[in-house]
Amino acid sequence: MRWLLNWLRRRSMERDLDRELSYHTDRRVSDLMAAGFSQQDARRQARLELGGWMQVQEEVRDVWLTRWLRDFIYDLRFSLRSFLRSPSFTITAVLSLAVGIGATTAIYSLVNQVLLSELPVRHPDRLVLVDWKGDQAANGFGSYNLMSYPICRDLQLQDRFFDGVLCRAATTVNLAIGEEPKPVGAELISGSYFSVLGVSPALGRLVDAADDERPGAGPVVVLAYDFWEAQLGGAADVVGRKVLINQSPMTIIGVAARGFRGIDVGQVPSIWIPASMSAQANPGFKDQLDRRTRWMQILASLRPGMTLTQAQAGLQPWFKGMLDEDTRRPEFPRITAERRQQFLSSSLTLTPAPQGHSVLQRSRTSQPLWVLFAATGVLLGLACLNVAGLFLARGSAREREFSTRLALGASRGRISRQTLTDATLLSVTGGLVGIALAPLVIKTLIAFLPRDTAANALTASIDLRLLLFTFPVSAAAGVVSGLAPAIRTSRGSLISPLRERAGATLRGARLRKAIVTLQIAFTLVLVIGAALFARTLAGLIAKGPGFATSSLVEFSIDPRRNGYSPVEASRLVRRIDSEIRATPGIDASALMRFQLLTGGSWNNPLTIQADKRITTDRDVHLNSVSPGFFSTLGIGLVAGRDFTERDSRPVGESGRRSAIVNEAFASRYLAGRNPIGLRIGEGSGPDVTADIEVVGVVKDISYRGIREESEQAYFPIFEGGDSGGSFYVKSRGNPESTFRLIREIVRKADPAMPVNALRTVDDQVNRSLNTERMLATLSGGFSTLALLLSLVGLYGVMSFVVTQRTREIGVRLALGATTGSAIWLVLRDAIMMIAAGAAIGLPCAGALGRLVESQLFGVTPTDPLTIAAATLLLTVAALGAALIPAYRASSVNPVDALRFD
Amino acid sequence: MANSNSAQTALDMLILTILSRRGASHGYGIANAIQEVSEEALRVEEGSLYPALHRMEEASWITAEWAVTENKRRARMYRINRAGTKQLEAEKEKWSTFSAGVARVLRMA
Repeated sequence: MRWLLNWLRRRSMERDLDRELSYHTDRRVSDLMAAGFSQQDARRQARLELGGWMQVQEEVRDVWLTRWLRDFIYDLRFSLRSFLRSPSFTITAVLSLAVGIGATTAIYSLVNQVLLSELPVRHPDRLVLVDWKGDQAANGFGSYNLMSYPICRDLQLQDRFFDGVLCRAATTVNLAIGEEPKPVGAELISGSYFSVLGVSPALGRLVDAADDERPGAGPVVVLAYDFWEAQLGGAADVVGRKVLINQSPMTIIGVAARGFRGIDVGQVPSIWIPASMSAQANPGFKDQLDRRTRWMQILASLRPGMTLTQAQAGLQPWFKGMLDEDTRRPEFPRITAERRQQFLSSSLTLTPAPQGHSVLQRSRTSQPLWVLFAATGVLLGLACLNVAGLFLARGSAREREFSTRLALGASRGRISRQTLTDATLLSVTGGLVGIALAPLVIKTLIAFLPRDTAANALTASIDLRLLLFTFPVSAAAGVVSGLAPAIRTSRGSLISPLRERAGATLRGARLRKAIVTLQIAFTLVLVIGAALFARTLAGLIAKGPGFATSSLVEFSIDPRRNGYSPVEASRLVRRIDSEIRATPGIDASALMRFQLLTGGSWNNPLTIQADKRITTDRDVHLNSVSPGFFSTLGIGLVAGRDFTERDSRPVGESGRRSAIVNEAFASRYLAGRNPIGLRIGEGSGPDVTADIEVVGVVKDISYRGIREESEQAYFPIFEGGDSGGSFYVKSRGNPESTFRLIREIVRKADPAMPVNALRTVDDQVNRSLNTERMLATLSGGFSTLALLLSLVGLYGVMSFVVTQRTREIGVRLALGATTGSAIWLVLRDAIMMIAAGAAIGLPCAGALGRLVESQLFGVTPTDPLTIAAATLLLTVAALGAALIPAYRASSVNPVDALRFD
Repeated sequence: MANSNSAQTALDMLILTILSRRGASHGYGIANAIQEVSEEALRVEEGSLYPALHRMEEASWITAEWAVTENKRRARMYRINRAGTKQLEAEKEKWSTFSAGVARVLRMA
């Protein structure tokens, strides 16, 4: 920008100064020699007199600097005045830039919060995530990168590499502080958690090693600062207060430092509980000390000076020893030789984790954010091009002014600088407007993010970090917008614009056409992207979850969290279930253990006993349902029968009697065999007995999300530990009255039981499509803006061309050209630009398409129909914009045109 | 006019005077001229001379261009212009008022 320009000029100024000063010394030396000094002495003397070459240079530079500053302020004042003189130009330009900068800032804010910002802990740069690469021969529950609690303890002994090691698991507990229990987010943590992170208490004390010494050792709770402020009004006397966690008594011991929100930006805990209390926090969970249950993420803090590679390599010998020891433990599961080999060849991997560990950082959420970030980048580029185009247009209007100033002795650099100052002023103003708009956009974006919890964790506030991003972006936008016009003014010929009148010059037009062509290319990329995402969303909505969602309401309860034993819990669920079914206005009701369309599932490989023993080559998605579930959701029964009450074993008795599989399962594994009567078992080891009879086959439905329809198997609910669950209720009334009925029934059964996730299934379907909807809506919005910007650009340049060629067109018309051929004359230019734009844009779209492929559904990134439709849309809109000036050209009155001079 | 810049103002005045009496000259020539005319009483430091020249050039009191000197070398020649002449008149007047004032105090007090 200015700086660069000054820098370029400065070099010649420096050279001049150097020459001037050396002339001075040379003269002095020759004078001194004439006075009788030896050459050497004369030189020394001259240099001494000059009193430090560098110092003289510095002082002269100071003089230059004051001039630059003065010029800059002068430029600024001049820009401001000229902008105020042409408000429509100013508003258009500022708004273009504000849209681009605002959108980029908003998306960057989310990218920053979710993916880039470091945890507010002591040494985020030393944090590493420890993960197991290979087969852990273990059961897992939770999100990703899971390990067992004992491994965390083992790792704490590896103090050659680590300062400290922590483990944690996210969960939800029912918390009662004096009143009725409410579900809150909690983090189960090792005793080392706070000390490894270096987080201090805001009040009281934090969980320490003693609290986590052995199971049940620390019935204590630490509150998150935000929770303490919002829910308890920041009361100073909370320390020592008794609370109930899932009906077990615990004591509040402190509040964590303000600003610390756990290590997962997507799941912000309200409270922390030591892992020693995991049996109370996850009712029915007894495996805290089991080496073969993976449920926690492990983070470690590297010793100062220890690199990640060193630590990772150094850990392997110990780890191999531990694996070997594990296989010799009596409780090690019986597994096939092949899996045993896989287990033994496992390794530990360390990855930097300065941002903590978050489900949002996984590609499912982070990728759409990067896609949108790229889209806003393109949008901002378009806005810059638009402003550059506007500048060129203004430049040609001001050509005479510039030429006059040149003739009066202004340097070309000075005038170019003026243009750049103009652009910078505009873009900084645009940036300010953009920053003002950004919080609105961020709020909208957060509403789109898939997790409810994300709304608590992400903020729409503008902080210093964001400004540090936006300011350079605005400045860069200014340079990009102003550069082309600046170069142009610095090259223009001095005489011709002064001499020109109606002017036949098309010099400005060529550059502007190039800009519009680029705009069309950018826009085409965005429009194609938006069309792909729109088709993805439409395809998913049209496909649906595979069952009838209308007039279906869902909710879930978790009695185990309210202190129920498994038997009591089953009884309560049964009672509520039969009550709902007996209520007038309810058509049907059924139970399912794991709610559908939440992104999670219960999965395990299965073993099938047919004419031979078959083990599934990947996890089968499992669930348990009550009799009548399939008919309530309208899922067709393809063969066999539904579960009946007789399929469920009495409460407390374990083992499963019967199963129902889906069509996908039958076609993948049973290949033509009749599934009815086959026996299956859960798991894939040689010790699995396949003794569960398949009694039916049902149609496929979506389990984790709408995209997915994979192999599924269902067991009857009410067996064994299935003591909570989700209800699906079909009713004739409107949802509101059904919600009331349900709340009433649950309250009658147990007034202290929270009703979770009470909503219509349609609502749940919508929630599960949040990411897709965000992509479709935002990319649609961005491409509409892009289209508008480039149409304005096209219209502008076509109007300019028509004005420039008025006389030519007039002559042609006078010579007998038809109106049609005059229109064609102008449209031909537009068509050339559109075609060139498409020629640039289409390959770009094809290349970028591969990056978004995983986000698409039912459409490939190079889908010809989508690309053709997008190109057609753009072409029609662009021709429309070009037609107006073209029509104006054709209605030129030849006489007027010729008289124009 | 005897403010903190008085030294600078004085130097400006000397340079402008030399340029207006003797025509265009380069930095070395100016420094020598001042020394010679003042009979060695005033010696202009190069560290003040060149910043002053560039400052006055910025202020458009003098103009500069590269020219070939008597000994066939290229030197940056400074020339006083109209604004510079005007400035010199104003400074000279202020200076004589000032020095007359000082002289009076020295005499009368």
